[in-house]
Amino acid sequence: MKRRIEEADVAIIGGGITAAMVAEKLTDEHDVDVVVIEAGARAVPLEARRERRRRYIDYGENPWTDDHIGDQSAEGIMSRSMVVGGQALHWGGTTPRFTPEDFRLRSLFGIHEDWPIEYETLDPYYQEAEERIGVAGEQGPDPLDPRGTPYPMPPLPLSWTLERLREWVTGAGIPVWTNPQSKNTRPWRGRPVCQRCDTCNICPTGAKYTPDYTFGQLESQGRIRLHPHTLVRRLELEAGRSRIHAAVARHYDDPEQDVVYRAGTFVLAAGYTWSPHLLLLSRQGRWANGLANSSGLVGAYMTGHRSVSTIIELPVRLLPGMFSNHSLISKYFQRPTEEGGPGLGRGFMRYDFRVWESNTARRPRLRDDRGALLLGDDVLADWRARTATGTTRLRCYYDVLPDRNSRVVLAERSRNRFGDPLPRLEFRDAPVSTDLRGATEESIRGVFGRLAAAGGGRILQTSVDQVQDHPGGGCRMGDDPDTSVVDGWGRSHDHDNLFVVGAPTMVSGGCNNGTLTFCALSVRSAEEIGRAFPERAG
Amino acid sequence: MSPDRRTFLKTTGAAVSGAAVGACTPQSPSADAEASGDRILDEALLRAVAEVVLPAELGTTGHEQVVLAFQGWARSYQPVAELNHGYGTSEIRYGPPDVVPAWQAQLRALDLEATKRHAAGFASLEASLRDQILRRQVDDSPEMPGPLRAHHVAVALLSFWLSSPEATDRCYGVRVGPRTCRSIESAPDEPDGVT
Repeated sequence: MKRRIEEADVAIIGGGITAAMVAEKLTDEHDVDVVVIEAGARAVPLEARRERRRRYIDYGENPWTDDHIGDQSAEGIMSRSMVVGGQALHWGGTTPRFTPEDFRLRSLFGIHEDWPIEYETLDPYYQEAEERIGVAGEQGPDPLDPRGTPYPMPPLPLSWTLERLREWVTGAGIPVWTNPQSKNTRPWRGRPVCQRCDTCNICPTGAKYTPDYTFGQLESQGRIRLHPHTLVRRLELEAGRSRIHAAVARHYDDPEQDVVYRAGTFVLAAGYTWSPHLLLLSRQGRWANGLANSSGLVGAYMTGHRSVSTIIELPVRLLPGMFSNHSLISKYFQRPTEEGGPGLGRGFMRYDFRVWESNTARRPRLRDDRGALLLGDDVLADWRARTATGTTRLRCYYDVLPDRNSRVVLAERSRNRFGDPLPRLEFRDAPVSTDLRGATEESIRGVFGRLAAAGGGRILQTSVDQVQDHPGGGCRMGDDPDTSVVDGWGRSHDHDNLFVVGAPTMVSGGCNNGTLTFCALSVRSAEEIGRAFPERAG
Repeated sequence: MSPDRRTFLKTTGAAVSGAAVGACTPQSPSADAEASGDRILDEALLRAVAEVVLPAELGTTGHEQVVLAFQGWARSYQPVAELNHGYGTSEIRYGPPDVVPAWQAQLRALDLEATKRHAAGFASLEASLRDQILRRQVDDSPEMPGPLRAHHVAVALLSFWLSSPEATDRCYGVRVGPRTCRSIESAPDEPDGVT
């Protein structure tokens, strides 16, 4: 087998949002040679996104062509994006923080585990991540939404429709505020102001942050080398030592040659599936169960959260379509205390709360209630009559604490083109979550019912999403090497030049979208990684 | 993220790829049809359909614009295109085969029935007779399908127009403008009326 050698101070494996955070911070602050290795292709360039958006709207086509690799999949539910920019190419850009309770579940409620860091420790890194990706937000009411410094940008304005919904919800006694978004309300780092095109999974203007902008800037300034189409297949140890010596990869256009990356520090930034998967694939010598796995917990404690959603019909006119990607948020039901939280009182039960405009049950239809076919003027008359009143959608994400056997494992019989076993994912609730599930969902339904009554409306439908959303875990952080894979900086307990950053290090999935927390953790990891390198001149 | 978007991410693939364009839909794209220009639907018949299935208040000019836009949309459609994928699914889905040959056959069927029943082409019949023929031939789907899911070209044409921002604005009587890029500053304002 031919070998090509690449050398760097830091090799970052994965080209998504956490890799972008680490690469940017490291090269902002230090004189350091960084290579970023991404299995997928480069993202659709900005100038092509209007046309890709048009075809997405017109035909439902994937707006991000070539954003996955056919034989690099998994058994179980997993998002397929494998591309420069990763899953954060077509993310919605929603960026709430976790709450202080997320980091202290054992201390406060006697369940699961505390994180090795507290909210107050992460606060400045949250802020830095918000600055780097550009977050527009509204400060929530005290004490529901603590933060040390104001949002980088003022919030996205609510639409006329969301303002009406805000009046209804606050009138029912639930404080709500603008959901923070990584979308510009003023020009930010060379990207323009949002135009509420309302197709945030393919933003045609660049107002929503995607990691390819960061990589593009870093490459154009010669601050990193980015190697797309290059799949890292295993990490190798130095002979007789526990330090990582090399990452061995294949380029998809030259599959007959190994590309060997030698670096002083390796950063695994490949997300919740592929990060633990690579460690498991890298089994060797006395590390027969995979690298970084002396605890046996690589791949374990995969976490996320479920949600309950409802559609409520309200006896008021609403105008869905003004800004359907925007929403309201509340942490009113998310902050229980010993003395009794504002929304739910004592004990551990938590969920967030979101409100969107909706056109559910208000779309044009082909048949009326009697089954008569509607054509021509009849379609429009029926549609107009039904939109004299409106609907809204509410959703609550609730905690699902992970079981140890909520895992990524190697599916030995399922292999990619190189013969490497692919991952299999299975999410399992911890017993405490299983026990609490019914009561939590009932509590959420009660909130929905009270709101419907307060607005003089009625619930049209309620559903529970069985998929664990915003997944993380698989290399959880902790102070104890027996019960965690990495420390609070993301450094492997077993290999001091190996870091795992972002989603895999999560101890629990909270009840908010995780991406901003992944970013904050990555920024913090980058600070620790950077200590080994001289400060950047000038 | 918008709930509608999340639902869309999860369901678009299934909805579009699972769509049958009709029992007579070919099982694979027709390269010959594309090469020969048969992917252009009969404009006179399509116009005659538009006059029945689209609201009269659009007027002749409005109907004509919808027909032209629909032709362009159908012509640019790429059979078995990869569909959007997103959170909560590992599956990569693909769109349906070429819809145009089936739709063209359905337009011809309208003309055939008109000729057999009334000894005149569909486009030359008065609107009430065209309406009767259309109602006999269109599908019985209980919900309005997306245009690519429609079992009949007449429903596809209607659905195509209904999915436009203009249709939403006309329904509400104000400029809601779904999926229209515009200033965020104007978002809190009640939209202007449609004149």
